[in-house]
Amino acid sequence: MKSVRIIALKEDRKRILEHLQNSSLIQVRHNEISEDGFGRVDTSPQLQQFDRNEQLMTQALKILDKVSPEKKSLLDSFKGKKEVEPEHIGSIAAASPKIVGICKKICDLEKQKADLSAERVRLKTQTVQLEPWRTLDIPMNTPDTASTAVLIGTFPKMFDDVTLAEALAQEEDLVFEYEIFFSSANLTCAVIFVPKVQKEKAENILRTLGFTRPLNPTSRTPSEKIKRLRQKDAELEEKIAKTTENLKNYIEYRQAISDTIDYYSVRSEKYRVISELDQSNHTFILYGYVPECDCDKLKALCENAACCVVEFSEAGDDAPVKLKNNKFAEPAESIVTMYSPPSKEDVDPTPILAFFFYFFFGMMFSDAGYGLVMLIATSIALKVFKPDKSMRNNLKLFRNCGVATVFWGLVFGSIFGDAPAVYYNLFTGNNVTMAELLPWPVLDTQKDALTIMILSIGLGLVHILVGMGCKFYVCMKHKRYAEAFFDTGLWMTMLIGFAVLAAGVAASPVLITVGAGIAIASAAGLVLTQGRAKKGIFGKLIGGVASLYDITSYISDLLSYSRLLALGLTTGVMAQVFNMLSTLMGTNIFGIIFMIVIFIAGHLITIGLNALGSYVHTMRLQYVEMFSKFYEGGGRKFEPFAVRCNNFKMKNSEEI
Amino acid sequence: MEGIVFAILAASIATVLSGIGSAKGVGGAAQTAMGVLSEDSSMFGKMLVLTLLPGTQGLYGFIVGFLIMINCGVLGGEVPTLMQGLAYVAASLAIGFGGMISGFAQGKASVAGISMCAKDESNFSKAMVSITLVEIYALLAFIVSLLMVISIPGIKM
Repeated sequence: MKSVRIIALKEDRKRILEHLQNSSLIQVRHNEISEDGFGRVDTSPQLQQFDRNEQLMTQALKILDKVSPEKKSLLDSFKGKKEVEPEHIGSIAAASPKIVGICKKICDLEKQKADLSAERVRLKTQTVQLEPWRTLDIPMNTPDTASTAVLIGTFPKMFDDVTLAEALAQEEDLVFEYEIFFSSANLTCAVIFVPKVQKEKAENILRTLGFTRPLNPTSRTPSEKIKRLRQKDAELEEKIAKTTENLKNYIEYRQAISDTIDYYSVRSEKYRVISELDQSNHTFILYGYVPECDCDKLKALCENAACCVVEFSEAGDDAPVKLKNNKFAEPAESIVTMYSPPSKEDVDPTPILAFFFYFFFGMMFSDAGYGLVMLIATSIALKVFKPDKSMRNNLKLFRNCGVATVFWGLVFGSIFGDAPAVYYNLFTGNNVTMAELLPWPVLDTQKDALTIMILSIGLGLVHILVGMGCKFYVCMKHKRYAEAFFDTGLWMTMLIGFAVLAAGVAASPVLITVGAGIAIASAAGLVLTQGRAKKGIFGKLIGGVASLYDITSYISDLLSYSRLLALGLTTGVMAQVFNMLSTLMGTNIFGIIFMIVIFIAGHLITIGLNALGSYVHTMRLQYVEMFSKFYEGGGRKFEPFAVRCNNFKMKNSEEI
Repeated sequence: MEGIVFAILAASIATVLSGIGSAKGVGGAAQTAMGVLSEDSSMFGKMLVLTLLPGTQGLYGFIVGFLIMINCGVLGGEVPTLMQGLAYVAASLAIGFGGMISGFAQGKASVAGISMCAKDESNFSKAMVSITLVEIYALLAFIVSLLMVISIPGIKM
């Protein structure tokens, strides 16, 4: 990574920035203060405007999606973005005011629709409230006649003809007549007639009974009113439908809106960069980082675009990191960055990680059939969809894992589990196993479980030793010799000693002595050196002895690799189960159809579950067991000033 | 001959107990994941991975159960003696309890991981690795059960 300074005339600013953005070569550096004699431009008003537009358009798109959902196939997510010339952005820019207007209209229509819906809800509650009065044939606000008072209202409890009469008869000599229209557990609707002279008396009694008059009485009879409300509701419904139709007319703009959103996000990015520039009256300075290999390209680009000065210098410690690897390791970069990009101190762990990732994934997935399926599926996807960089790398990652899976599948004698043997036996009546069927010697995950477990832990030891080797290398590179030889080297020899010892137990007593010798010598070395930071002879000695306790962490790390066996076995057994199930119906025509269905469905389930398991556990082995030995991480990822959008990418730009 | 009853019991113990662990773990994780998905359905892939992580215990138990069936005469192999049958039961306890309780624990870790990932998607790998830390104990139980089940037919009891 290099630091770069570009000085140019202000009149060329737009052109240079556009070229830089389209090429995605440079990451702009943020400086707290500007150079003497230079100032910054505040672009926040423009940025806010872009933001508002983006929000408006995103909302409009959502509304359109609701009106007519976009049909998207699952496979579309593999497809790469469309490559466009820089001129394409110009044409979007020209159309953008119109599109913003359209989006405003869409949002307005949606708001109208929401208002209409709210109105409908209001009408609905009114109708519900009137429903109990349906049989009343006088208006709710019928006035008193010359001699009779009319009291229309509700009680908050249940009354029937008898109980209401009793309740009203509390007051002696009250003359009344009534009619109940509706009665339920907590609502009684009634009309009560009393002589006008006794109205006050009646009202007093009614009040104690909780009688209330309707809130908004109308001058129409309830049934008539309900009818009117229904009619209004129908009108509203029609209006809503019309608005929806109107909205549907805008669907053709969906792509344009989506493009314009991209255009605004591209412009936002540019204005954010403009606010980082140091500007004088006539010139501006841009600071940034550029990958070392792209320096010449950048220089040529800028000098072609306008008259400018491009200077390179060594980047400081806080420079971002861009990983660069060969074809074999590149797909695994995403695994490294998912953990954390390397810091300045670290070596790039990608090549080592890539190898072990493929290798362990293969060992866990361990089926030649599944590996082949993965290999073919990812190769086809890569060919057909021409996906973008990150998706391409993911597909390549799984393609490479597929190769390793085929290899381990053949070692373990597993091709869709024991499918070849099972079907051979089914149709010929023989009784052979996969081991007999395959011409090469195989390790049976079930019968040779112990052997595979030892193999797993052995491979784990190699993995850990490689991780420690990296630590050794990093320490040597930074001239921290004590750390390299004492902290890392002695543990490495100790582990090797134990390995030789273990091999000796199985093979020859000579190795036992050699192994034990190496281990004891390393342990002695550790005791002598590990307390070196402590004060006093006792402190040093105790520190040294205490450090031997670390052996437990190495043992638990090593045991962790037994998952290589466990997951390999899981795949094998699940496949075997489905193979067995598929033969249950025999060899008649139905049996064969059943067999095919179960075979496909069963193996798809097995692939899904076990590929996920293998992926997760491989990752864990890398992150927890190996990275903990040497990898610091904590670097920043190189994030260039670029055209970042959902729908298209620039032609001839560096891929991001 | 009586051994087969115990062998079948062993297969059930292995499958059911670890299945309970996974069912509870995945169930809890799925509930949380659906809460997240109701806000942002684009996270489905990541949520699926985190939800499925406590599901492996059930698989391990099932595999031990299946291997017992293969060995003990249900799906092949020889009918075990009484002592062998009891040995199967003893062997299945490891993955049964190991799987069940680590399933509960991993389910809780999954729920926490899902919440963390919902706040910031870049935490996904950290969540995933932290959740798999629990898995090792189920794995150890599985391997112990497995090695025992494989070797029982060869031991004369």
